[in-house]
Amino acid sequence: MEFLSFLIKRVLWSVLVLVGLSMVIFVIARVVPGDPARMALGPRATPEQVATMQAELGLDQPILQQYALFIEGLTRGDLGKSLLTERPVNDDIRETFAATFELVLCTMILAMGFGVPLGMIAAYWKDKWPDTAVRFFAIFAAVTPSFFLALLLQILAGYVLHLLPTTGRLPNSMEFEASWTGLLLIDSLISGRLDVFGEALRHLLLPALALAAATMGQMARLTRASMIDVSRQDYIEAARAFGIPEWLRVTKYMLRPSFVPPLTIMGLEFASLIGGAFVVEMVFAWPGMAAYGIRTILQKDLNAVMGVVMVSGVFFVLVNLAIDVLVGFVDPRVRIRGRR
Amino acid sequence: MTYHKLLASTAAVAFLAFGAPSFAQTVVTMNTVQIFGTIDPAKISDYTDYMAAVNLYDGLISVDSSGNLIPELAESWVVSPDAKEVTFKIREDAKFTDGSPVEASDVIYSIERLLRINQGPANLFADVLTPGSVTAVDAKTVKFTLAKTFAPFLTTVPAIFILNADAVKPNEGADDAQTWLATNVAGAGAYSLKSWDRGAEMTITRNPDYYKGFLEGPIDTVHWIITSDEATVKSLAASGELTMTSQFQSPETYKALVDMGRFKMVSQDTGTAFYLKLNTKVAPTDDIHIRRALALATDYDTIRQVIFPGGVLSTPLPKAFAAYHNGDIPEPKFDMEGAKAEIAQSKYAGAPIPITLGYVAGTGFEEEISLLMQSNLEQLGFVVTQAADPWNRITEIAGKVETTPAVNQIFFGPTYPSPDSMFFTQYHSKAAGTWASMEWVNDPDVDAMIDAARATGDTAEQAKIYKELQAKLDDMKPDVYLLTQTVQHAMDNCLTGFNAVPMQSFDYDFTRYQWTCK
Repeated sequence: MEFLSFLIKRVLWSVLVLVGLSMVIFVIARVVPGDPARMALGPRATPEQVATMQAELGLDQPILQQYALFIEGLTRGDLGKSLLTERPVNDDIRETFAATFELVLCTMILAMGFGVPLGMIAAYWKDKWPDTAVRFFAIFAAVTPSFFLALLLQILAGYVLHLLPTTGRLPNSMEFEASWTGLLLIDSLISGRLDVFGEALRHLLLPALALAAATMGQMARLTRASMIDVSRQDYIEAARAFGIPEWLRVTKYMLRPSFVPPLTIMGLEFASLIGGAFVVEMVFAWPGMAAYGIRTILQKDLNAVMGVVMVSGVFFVLVNLAIDVLVGFVDPRVRIRGRR
Repeated sequence: MTYHKLLASTAAVAFLAFGAPSFAQTVVTMNTVQIFGTIDPAKISDYTDYMAAVNLYDGLISVDSSGNLIPELAESWVVSPDAKEVTFKIREDAKFTDGSPVEASDVIYSIERLLRINQGPANLFADVLTPGSVTAVDAKTVKFTLAKTFAPFLTTVPAIFILNADAVKPNEGADDAQTWLATNVAGAGAYSLKSWDRGAEMTITRNPDYYKGFLEGPIDTVHWIITSDEATVKSLAASGELTMTSQFQSPETYKALVDMGRFKMVSQDTGTAFYLKLNTKVAPTDDIHIRRALALATDYDTIRQVIFPGGVLSTPLPKAFAAYHNGDIPEPKFDMEGAKAEIAQSKYAGAPIPITLGYVAGTGFEEEISLLMQSNLEQLGFVVTQAADPWNRITEIAGKVETTPAVNQIFFGPTYPSPDSMFFTQYHSKAAGTWASMEWVNDPDVDAMIDAARATGDTAEQAKIYKELQAKLDDMKPDVYLLTQTVQHAMDNCLTGFNAVPMQSFDYDFTRYQWTCK
């Protein structure tokens, strides 16, 4: 019950955070130089045309009234129309979010799938050569900017070796509509299109790897440190004394409590990459929401900027809530603390 | 049975047995550096928008690479002696992609809608066309009655793309079909929209029943990939996916592609000019001697040959407008001694002269030009402030005399193939307050000359006026003429047909391209 009230409090705080976020972004978006109407109409638009569009967009009204209109639209789930694409922002975000979500999901799977085992290896063979190798890799991966790695991978795998495709989600010649979830990997399986699944996976590999490297390095380092810490606990010694098999001791008694820090980091990374994957999306011409967000900022497309930021914010809040719940399951002490 | 009959019958049997032969599709993949904003003909405004529109829609007339008007949906046109009426005769065989005929009512609908929405190309027709200006003489003849004589009118007509009124009207909704035409095409163009992922790509496919037909070796599919990243372009080329680059790649990328062996470089001068626009209303560029000194202190060869490849620009009007270009005005020369002499005659002589050099932030070559200018100007006693502003900011600061920097690097190209497009927008006082007119010329004589050229339908008279106008502007020196832009593409050796057109991106009308390899 206490845990439930803890969650309700978190939800209420999250709503407050989102309201604050909407206010800050609303003001920042309007302070940035440039007239959205003039930019949308092009350099040769007449002053009358610009004035008409400003009135259509409500830019001639006081800022508080503009904000009230935005919030009113938001409560109806209407983010307005994009000046950049001439479509409802809802439609743009629906299309681009799926691409980014799929990319970030694969990034997280790669980061967790490799980062955690590498951390385990390093912790198990602490101060031996596997540990040194993992630590070296982890530092290299964590400090290499994702855009640099993206370019490196693109040149190596695409330009030199011709191993993997370097742009988009599918080859141009392949026709497929992801109408179920928007995620090509899932929808292709639902439709029984293994060819599409294979191609989607090939297209995902390079951008996901470029994005995953830093998180992978961070995961490996955190898992290692956490497991070494846990391995010094008395109950691990006791487990050894009781003759519990080594694999069970490592995977169950050491890994599970060590999993909380990487899980928390994963949540933060997952949420932040939704809006922060734009460099990699730009490099790989990935039709995602992060790249869309950057284009709308450059075009001062106010509705779209607000939409992207709010969706990223909601996603951030939801993922962090989910991580709180997950951490509670992984580490019962958190639930107990919650009850107190 | 003769040998020929045997061969023919064998071929016939083979045809019947295996069906009609299937031909490989010719796909051209090109990268563009910005996304397609809209495909609605009433809203298209920039270079990339027009790139799609010229393939998806047809206008009454179009433009060739020499700037000549050429028939498209209209087979002929007649201009009245006072240049206030233009009558177009629509081709009998002109039809939309759904097979329905193109008629005068479609032209009227397209223009009325354009004027109602009042965006995109509508600014070209402000004060010239009003609701009711366009009428049908008969089903295949349409008459434009202008509100006033506007000699360049005919050159603006290619910007009007004709909609299939019967297809659009049922989808008008509450916004004049703006929502529907944002994602659907209802035109008579040579290509149809196959897919469009706004952030990533657009694909169009050839309409085999296109009323004008195609050249030999037509391009079946055009696929645009949106990326400005040089490594991506090189990877796409290396993997065989890319057929043609954008015109905005780095010299290194062009070289890498040519070194692959599959690509050739295509390079042509355009009607786009690159200027240093000098604000004639703020210090120190309000002094003609300072403006002349700036022109003399510009190292043209280094800029054109090292920093940004381009052709010679000797007047405000590029040589692409051959009939109107004043060839008597000499090319600008780099002469530091001459610059010193001009400064000595200025009202700012004898003390350090503060000056602001503005350019678009993030454009490497503009920064290099600005630094080169700084180096030269500091030798002449100027105290230079560099002002790198994002483009959004430049469009704002250009709105007021006092916020416009003394010196501004600006590209300006014709929107329609007429010198009027270059002169009115940049130098007429009615067009003041935009990024294109950062000189703030506001000169009654200049206005009068531009207006006079607009008011006469006599092209010889127009040419005379425009040549005098160039001489006058050269005397006033509101600009330093840096170069005419050279457009470059790395293109597959098998692809031909690129010819720079002095209007928007009409040079990417893919009906003009051919695939020459078998």
